[in-house]
Amino acid sequence: MTASRDVLVVGGGPAGLSAAARLAAAGLGVTLVDEQPELGGQYYRRPSPAVLREHGDHRPEGGRLIAHVRSLGVDCLTGHLVWGVDDDGRTLLATGPDGTPVRLRARHVIVATGAYERTHPFPGWQLPGVTTPGFAQHLAAADGTPPGRRVLVAGSGPFLLPVACSLLAAGADVVGVAEAGHPYRPSLRAAPALRHPARLRELAGYVARLARARVPLWQGRVVNGAAGGDRVTSVTLAATVDPGRPLRTLDVDALCVGYGFRPQTELARLLGCEISADAVTGDAEPVTDAFGRTSRPGVYVVGEAAGVGGVHRARVRGAMAAAHILLREGSPAAPGPREIARLAAQGRALTRFTAMSDALYPSPARLQEVLAATLDDDTIVCRCEAVTAAAVRSAAAERAGGDLNAAKSWSRAGMGPCQGRFCGFAVAGLVRDAAEAPPAGGARCGVPVFPARQPVRPVPVETLLALGEQDGGDG
Amino acid sequence: MSAQTADVVVIGAGVLGGAAAFHLALGGHRVIVLDRGAPGREGSGTTAGNLHVQAVHTRRPGQEVPLDSARFLPLQRAASDRWNSVEAELEASVELRRSGGFTIAETPEQRAELIAKHAWEERAGIRTEVLDGDGARAALPLLGPTVTAATWCPLDGYANPLLTTPAYLAAAVRHGARLHPFCPVRAVERSGSGWRVTAGDLTVEAPHVVDVAGPWLGEIAALAGIGLRMTPVAIQMHVTVRLPETLRYLVQHIGEGLSVKQVTAGNLLIGGGWPALRLDPDGRSPVSLSSVLGNVAQAARVLPFVRDLRLLRTWAGPLAATPDEMPVIGEVPGAPGFLVAGGTYAFTFAPLWGETLRCLVEGKPAPVDVRDLGPDRLLEPAAPAAPYEEAR
Repeated sequence: MTASRDVLVVGGGPAGLSAAARLAAAGLGVTLVDEQPELGGQYYRRPSPAVLREHGDHRPEGGRLIAHVRSLGVDCLTGHLVWGVDDDGRTLLATGPDGTPVRLRARHVIVATGAYERTHPFPGWQLPGVTTPGFAQHLAAADGTPPGRRVLVAGSGPFLLPVACSLLAAGADVVGVAEAGHPYRPSLRAAPALRHPARLRELAGYVARLARARVPLWQGRVVNGAAGGDRVTSVTLAATVDPGRPLRTLDVDALCVGYGFRPQTELARLLGCEISADAVTGDAEPVTDAFGRTSRPGVYVVGEAAGVGGVHRARVRGAMAAAHILLREGSPAAPGPREIARLAAQGRALTRFTAMSDALYPSPARLQEVLAATLDDDTIVCRCEAVTAAAVRSAAAERAGGDLNAAKSWSRAGMGPCQGRFCGFAVAGLVRDAAEAPPAGGARCGVPVFPARQPVRPVPVETLLALGEQDGGDG
Repeated sequence: MSAQTADVVVIGAGVLGGAAAFHLALGGHRVIVLDRGAPGREGSGTTAGNLHVQAVHTRRPGQEVPLDSARFLPLQRAASDRWNSVEAELEASVELRRSGGFTIAETPEQRAELIAKHAWEERAGIRTEVLDGDGARAALPLLGPTVTAATWCPLDGYANPLLTTPAYLAAAVRHGARLHPFCPVRAVERSGSGWRVTAGDLTVEAPHVVDVAGPWLGEIAALAGIGLRMTPVAIQMHVTVRLPETLRYLVQHIGEGLSVKQVTAGNLLIGGGWPALRLDPDGRSPVSLSSVLGNVAQAARVLPFVRDLRLLRTWAGPLAATPDEMPVIGEVPGAPGFLVAGGTYAFTFAPLWGETLRCLVEGKPAPVDVRDLGPDRLLEPAAPAAPYEEAR
């Protein structure tokens, strides 16, 4: 089956929903495709019916936006995994919930694939009970179930606070929040935040909630290791400035640890969009302008996939891409110059807020350096292929000459079913740490990310055979 | 910077460069190996790692001329023998596995080809056995109902290319070779009776240059003012998720581009030379979906258990093909001391070509007669030599 529309939006989170709503309201034919059985993405993920009945909707605006998009007649292909790009470089390949292959074509493609959580390994990170903050948030907010009774929340970034609050709401005892940086203290760097009172109120609300529950907030601390048998029973914290030396041990039965988010760019890269390394985060990001336009005509990247910036910025970016498409289509419903200027100003303000917020927390590139340098040799880094830090280090130093993809080849790190989504950040850090200074005149892979390969996720051979049969032959 | 001196400059740190550097360094030559990027990252890092011992006269999809199978076989026999000693010589595991392989046929014409191929193999001293469809399925019950005949060769096998090239390079370095990755060659000039090679901020003078630059073989030769007709292409590979040990043998197709085997890690590797979307000499060549679908469909037809697997990843890599599909190895006429080696099946031939290149440098008889495989047949008027960056 081939669906051909005016606009194809990949990803039903805040950015994708905002773009789809605006485009459909202007009368364009929009297909919105999402891997999950329900729209919403990670941020607007719908709670289970039981949780809705008991606790209500923690993010009602998400439910309203989804209902609005559906009421506008957007063709919503939920449960569809987009895994590749056809030989024309434009048609997307997806698999439906029953394994049926679908080709998706449109004049304009909006990539709103979101972000991955940024994980970093430590001894014991594979123990049951160790989760990412995002997963814990999902369990707590959408299912009303915390990942354990005594939980430590650790890592870095503003997201740790709402996660700790959700865990409290779901009935967990949060033993503490350990933040790698020192964002929560009066500082001149925080002064620009005063221009964003709504954001500050939100933050103050989380801090107050944690204080009421007497949850300690430790700053400048990282997880040094976890221990346990059948599941995690204790966690050791260390100072961020000296992550190899344990400072204190906490008894827990769950640990939620993560260092924020990194853009999910595989689809944008398979579409041929130029990417570059972000100066602050070091993450590979598609090169986009204010409208989300990429180096590929007709391909837009918006939301976290274009650079992590939070829900408000994601929604504005989605709206900006929609505005540009409406202008290009000559739609009578296209926004006028004043509305464009207003949206752009909003986008710029939120971009400044992101930069300010980023500056309060340790930069991921710096964390990557610190954590990689002190990572224990025996720790498994790539869980899919069981590759240790020592193996990545020796591959990087002896054979790869500092080339990330060569280090993958020589160590197998990143070759398993997750294709480096979990270990990519850590492997890149280990390779960077192990590599000598680049030789003069030497050319080197400049982007700190594994190459994007299709299928983006493993695809059943049966699906490929069915796709080949659609083409009218057996290949 | 003043020029260094060496006995041999090897250009290209792929499997051929590694093998040549190893054999030369072992022979006491001072060897410098240069590569534009990380070692073993192009054809040698993207190949499937098949050891082709029985005749391979099938064509890749898009391949215009068949190679000369009968001429190829004595070379394959010699290459096969050398693989037996590779792990001992290199003091490293390359996951070498000689568990044999099947070449299958599905049509009467393909069956006739199998029988003809078997006769050439006998003459070359390569033991193979012809089986009918049921005989093939008795030997390998995984084969599907469309298989009407097969040849079995106990010598076919596999080595892990991701271990082989590093092992060759490491052994070469142990014997004194110097390896310079991320050091693109910018100039190759005559200097006295030898050559001067400029790469990165390095200048090396040496009586011999060995151009084993794979898909860039022709471009490196052009820097030296030598015109060589090469026809590099990009081909793609497909790998499934891991599965328990299921397929111990290499399975190939006589009439279509198809090779399937299970690697040591457990993944099933499906290849056969299907073309990538295009050859991108500066990055990773993009894969073609129609080649994915075609190659995977063949594999699932010949080996029906493939239907139940999941495809994990695809990738493409360059293949340093020649217009006549035969290997090229030898000194360039009119350019004394400038040797080239390359062409398809370079992985299978690497141990043999490494030893052969050492003999050619030393002016000694090669272990196999390669006089008809020299670059003279590929010579053409040289294009004006462009600086390396522009040549790319």
